[in-house]
Amino acid sequence: MPLVAAVAASHAPNILLEPGSEWDEFMQLHYRMAPQASSSKPSLEAQKKLRADAEKAFAVLRSDLEAARPDVLIVVANDQFVNFFFNNIPTFFITLADEVKGQFTRHKFHYKNHKELGRAILKAGIEKGIDFSYGEYIELQHTQVVPLYFLLPEPKIPILPIYVNTWVDPVPTPRRCYQVGEVIREVADKQKERIAILATGGLSHFPGSPRIGEIDTQFDHKLLEIMREGKGRTLADYSLKELLQAGDSEFLNWMVVLGTVGDARAASTFYMPDHVATGWGFVSWKLQ
Amino acid sequence: MSSYHLNRFLFDLKMNESVFKEAMADLKGAVNRYDLTPEEREALLAGDPRKLRPLGAHGMLALYLMRLNPEFRTNVYWSQK
Repeated sequence: MPLVAAVAASHAPNILLEPGSEWDEFMQLHYRMAPQASSSKPSLEAQKKLRADAEKAFAVLRSDLEAARPDVLIVVANDQFVNFFFNNIPTFFITLADEVKGQFTRHKFHYKNHKELGRAILKAGIEKGIDFSYGEYIELQHTQVVPLYFLLPEPKIPILPIYVNTWVDPVPTPRRCYQVGEVIREVADKQKERIAILATGGLSHFPGSPRIGEIDTQFDHKLLEIMREGKGRTLADYSLKELLQAGDSEFLNWMVVLGTVGDARAASTFYMPDHVATGWGFVSWKLQ
Repeated sequence: MSSYHLNRFLFDLKMNESVFKEAMADLKGAVNRYDLTPEEREALLAGDPRKLRPLGAHGMLALYLMRLNPEFRTNVYWSQK
């Protein structure tokens, strides 16, 4: 079967935190690190609206995913010092575990991992000159489980976490990420199973940087427009500098998915800056 | 990387519960187990994560020094990774 569906979604922790006390604690910590960001602090009403709007966006993505009846969901995300540290930072990493688990506040996650598909992508990559790292154990973190909470709350199908280094300098180029996506697409199209893919992260934000709190909404709107036009291929020509200046390093995860969808136009896009740190973005491509 | 051990301590505060507990009970003792410069040690004991970045700490890791701050000890942020 060819690739049957592709979606992309932000993974900001506050998407899954409860408006009110949990958001307040999150923001209190955030503003201690970045006092300059506190001027735009969202009210409780604004927090509730953001959550409701994110749920509406996720409902569309989930509906598109479920309509495609996938047998497996590839999850392209970045680590943030949970599985990888400065003793070994992989640029691209494929999970070859039997199962994967993680926890986010009171929410627990446990999925089977599709290691056979992981191995097929690993081998195809090697043949085409992309030498992925791989390993047999990972712990899921917010970069995966925030979107999975809304998109795959029950572990009805296995997942396959693939990591892109977006968080430690130097990171790969947009073009290289796009090429990784093209390899995944080639493998997916040869499988008997129906394969879907999710990219997480972004859009504009500056995690762990003195610029935290800034959101380049103009750049994000441009990215979304390009995806609606089906011109994701042109984003491979962007320089790293352009992406990083706009706080879109995690868009590198999305670049992998753009490599899998090729010239398909995004069917639905949603965007809401959270007025704390992140431009929340959500996109779905219908591939059938 | 000269700041490797500084980042290692912060990573362990996040991921290694026994290092976190030890640091809560005796920060100086916990810090002394790491191969740190006097400047790095002093910055950690001062408890201000913003002093760590100029020394080479990654911003995502520097944040975890706040786990030791009584005002933030039960913050919901630590219940996710």
